[in-house]
Amino acid sequence: MRLPGTRYQEHGWEQVRKLLGHCSLLALNGEGVPALLGHGDKGEGGPAPAALLERYTEAVATALGRSAGSSRAEAPGNHYGESVAELALSLLYELRAQPSYWDGFLAAVASEHARNGAFWTGAGADGILRKKINDMYAGLRDKVDADNCQVALGKPCSPNKIYTYRMLDTAYGDIAALFANWQVHEDQVAAILGRAPGGLPIEARQMKSIAGCKAEWVIRWSETLDRFAGSPGPLHTKSKRFASLKNQPDKIAAMLAEIGDYEELSANLDHAEGWAGDAGEAALWLEDYWRVLGESEAAAPEGTDDRLLAAPDDEFAGPETDGPVPPDAAPLPDEPLALPTPALTPALTPGQRAHEQALALSLSLPPRFIELAAASQDASSWTLRMLKDDTLPVRLAVYQKMLGGADDSYPDEWRDPATGELPTLQQLAALDGVSMPTLRKRRNEAIARLSACTPGL
Amino acid sequence: MNEKSKTGLADRRLRERLLLGRAVPGDHLRLADATLLGALDGSRPLTANERAALMHSPLTLRRLRVLSDAVRKQAGAAAIWMRSGGLLRAAASSTTLDRLVTDDGCWALHFVPDGDGWSVILALAAEAPFAPGLMRQQPMLRVLDGAGATVLQGRLDIDGECEDGWPFDTPPARHFQLHGGMFAVETAAP
Repeated sequence: MRLPGTRYQEHGWEQVRKLLGHCSLLALNGEGVPALLGHGDKGEGGPAPAALLERYTEAVATALGRSAGSSRAEAPGNHYGESVAELALSLLYELRAQPSYWDGFLAAVASEHARNGAFWTGAGADGILRKKINDMYAGLRDKVDADNCQVALGKPCSPNKIYTYRMLDTAYGDIAALFANWQVHEDQVAAILGRAPGGLPIEARQMKSIAGCKAEWVIRWSETLDRFAGSPGPLHTKSKRFASLKNQPDKIAAMLAEIGDYEELSANLDHAEGWAGDAGEAALWLEDYWRVLGESEAAAPEGTDDRLLAAPDDEFAGPETDGPVPPDAAPLPDEPLALPTPALTPALTPGQRAHEQALALSLSLPPRFIELAAASQDASSWTLRMLKDDTLPVRLAVYQKMLGGADDSYPDEWRDPATGELPTLQQLAALDGVSMPTLRKRRNEAIARLSACTPGL
Repeated sequence: MNEKSKTGLADRRLRERLLLGRAVPGDHLRLADATLLGALDGSRPLTANERAALMHSPLTLRRLRVLSDAVRKQAGAAAIWMRSGGLLRAAASSTTLDRLVTDDGCWALHFVPDGDGWSVILALAAEAPFAPGLMRQQPMLRVLDGAGATVLQGRLDIDGECEDGWPFDTPPARHFQLHGGMFAVETAAP
């Protein structure tokens, strides 16, 4: 299924899910699962969920890197040309941005433990864990795609609505398969069409795409599924998730048409034409954003009515998915500080310079790595002003965590010529003369500082 | 982009990631497209509350990015368009001329009898790649005949049309025949 902006809803998803499950099991094997239980609301001494998430995502990213080149990893993940491995990695990054799904996973592991003790040692342990991992990513992909869809269309969309689209898309697939094989399923096809069986149904030949699928067919298909397939259809299950939909053929028809319209449109789009383009690559929109903020501050707002949109109701929320509404946006922070421009590179004594060069060489980096990497960073840049008290390795670690090790925006001076990427965290820690945990801690503190003033940046 | 800075792009991307990669529980589109577009083209600056809503909603910021990139793309297309030309077709010359279309299909000229004379209407095709940009910018446009005389000058109305009386004594078909059998639409120098 394709909808505007969505990336994780096509056939490739099955492989993405399996790859993430496989790599997650690798990441959590051994000591991994008991460590997940160490935390709690009351501070039981274990690592905090955020630290666990960081460890988990690093381990999964490593495992994904090792899977590169496998046929599963290289398989197409969607029609934009993204591979299964690329989608898996980007969803892993999304997990960091949406930690509530990780918290949900930890809660599921904790409740399994409360019910069944050390479930990770028993037979079928992998299956139990894999199921929880699947649930986490299934929820996350719909959240991410619902947001992608809202951004693409400028209209509200919810994970529940995405789930409903997918149910309808699956229904269409099933109906199309029955139509194609109508001789074998004559009674069921007749029931879907709402008339007595009698030869080749013309509808079966005329339905060329989901846009040609009628809402009544979907409703009758679901209604009669119990009789023909032995289990109730999605509109007629006890869960009542889609129960109201069976009385709303107009809504079903509109959603089927939306899927069909976009499928037709996207089939004609050039694969190479990404949604971002050059302007997106260069993040030029930031100029517009800063201008919009400036003009808003300069304008006298007296007497202008606010045009704010209220949070939309989620009409597709099933009864069992109703949760508490999370609190709204945080309060306004203080204005960002005007910071002085720091000195570019501190003057080094010959002894210090020799030490730096020896250190770089011992890490298989060019001898003047620190000097040149530091000099290539613009002294007036926002990041450098914000992180002026941090060392170069900490700053590079910040970029590595936020943008990955290989972003094409990095100057050559920042890259390890051997890999073409930023130095590894291990190399950076050695350059800084600190341990990996210390570098991580300083990096995270630096990111927290950047994030704290982010709304106004 | 700052040419002197090798890390300008990396900085920009880092700031973008910081802005958009935040989880804001309960986030939703806080501003309508019309509000965002008004802020982008400067016609209606955001109020203080709208500004705060935008700054604290990664989802609304992402929508702003989509709109900003789209406007930039359209502005680029509009900037490229300078001129469209067309020919008087043989068939058109033998009968009463009611319509001419530029070779790129982006413009049509309609001729409507009006009392003793004619009206001439310039219409922009909605699907022209530069249509959104032109509609926003509303530049002064001019239609010229093959001899370089002005047939029509003005700005497009909200329907993408511009209308005036036929300025010559000879009827449209005969006039174009006598003046090179060609016409062109272009932006008039301000």
